[in-house]
Amino acid sequence: MIFDTFSYFLLFLLPAALLFRGVAPSFRAPVISLFGAAFFIYFSLTTVGGVAGAFCLGLFLWEALVSRFYRPGSALCLLGIVQALVILFVFKYWNFTAGLVAGPGTSWRWTGAFLPLGISFFTFEFIHYARDRRENRTEAGGFWEYLAFILFFPTMVAGPIKRYQDFLPTLRSPTRDWANDFERGCTRILAGLAKKFVVADCMTSLTQHLNATDIARAERWILPFWLLAYAVKIYFDFSAYSDIAIGSARLFGMKVKENFDWPYAREDITSFWRHWHMSLTRWLTDYVFIPLGGSRVATGRIYFNVLATFLVSGLWHGAGLNFVVWGLWHGAALCVHRWWTGLRGDCVPSTPVRWINWGLTMTVVTLGWAWFTMDLPTALLFYKRLFLG
Amino acid sequence: MNWLLRLKHWLEFLGGATDAVPRSFNGPGGWVLLAVWWMALVGLITLFCRQASKFIYIDF
Repeated sequence: MIFDTFSYFLLFLLPAALLFRGVAPSFRAPVISLFGAAFFIYFSLTTVGGVAGAFCLGLFLWEALVSRFYRPGSALCLLGIVQALVILFVFKYWNFTAGLVAGPGTSWRWTGAFLPLGISFFTFEFIHYARDRRENRTEAGGFWEYLAFILFFPTMVAGPIKRYQDFLPTLRSPTRDWANDFERGCTRILAGLAKKFVVADCMTSLTQHLNATDIARAERWILPFWLLAYAVKIYFDFSAYSDIAIGSARLFGMKVKENFDWPYAREDITSFWRHWHMSLTRWLTDYVFIPLGGSRVATGRIYFNVLATFLVSGLWHGAGLNFVVWGLWHGAALCVHRWWTGLRGDCVPSTPVRWINWGLTMTVVTLGWAWFTMDLPTALLFYKRLFLG
Repeated sequence: MNWLLRLKHWLEFLGGATDAVPRSFNGPGGWVLLAVWWMALVGLITLFCRQASKFIYIDF
């Protein structure tokens, strides 16, 4: 829950934002770091991870210490990337991989497995910093500044995924327009909470039927409505979360980049991904797609790179075969769009064609959510009922 | 399509996503409108918060 609790606002956000604005500039980073550490421990103990989860604060401290040795061209940066990937693998994919390799009943399974708070997001920020330091694309910053970057609690749990180059200037020189920041920040937070409670949570009465029993019994015509409700729910849920995170950062006088920009209004799948979870798309582009060769390679290889990038995206979203299929679904859709754009050339589509494009994009995206929200057998049952009756 | 752009601008302003104030918002009446909007949001949040569920992207 976190962002919809009084403790988030009263124990963490308001005191931290007020203190941050009140202290001398040299104390700003320690204020964020200390509140971030307290936030991590508090919500690990009360929501996910428990005591063991709270001890994972050590991962941040270790990362902050090790990162002081990152230098341009240094092999230590590569070790930092490997370290972040190992952390993510152990906590998130160990049981999934053990089950795939040795079968579901294997003794290799980690029975007490838990996910540290925000692990999927903070490991991406660790990787970004290590890679960009190696490529000399960012300055090192100070120990407290880097700690503040990785422990900045408004974005710690579910993004937007930040860049150190963007964070550092805003940490060092936050805006001083208190009145405007508080007015805009609070409006953003209130709007986010309303989106979550009024729209996203109201969809639950429909989306809760996306299970094998209800799908098997349901009238066929209702199935698309359940899936459409999930499309509405996930957009309003996640964009609401981003609204609260961005609005919270605004109270500090800090601007965090947008995560959504009307994605469901887009007319093709490429444009959809440029406007949906934008911080993730940018991260995947910079740290997976481009290192693979990006689009400056042979055509066949480009398609491979797109598919591989979205396979990573799918796996990042969850340790399950359904997420693999979801990633490949979108990767394949992007490949088809790329191929079609190459055939069509630069002609400007007429208004009816634009509406058709929008309808097709929404259909692909909405059908894709079936893989995202249901396990593989249930999603297959859903498709069977939807298309074959 | 001009009205669509204006609507988008208004929605983004009411959602706190932009600092650019819509032209028709200027003046003291605008601030009254914003106060009413805040009260409406708080009212809706209070009304609907009991059915709250976990954010999808937390703990994943």
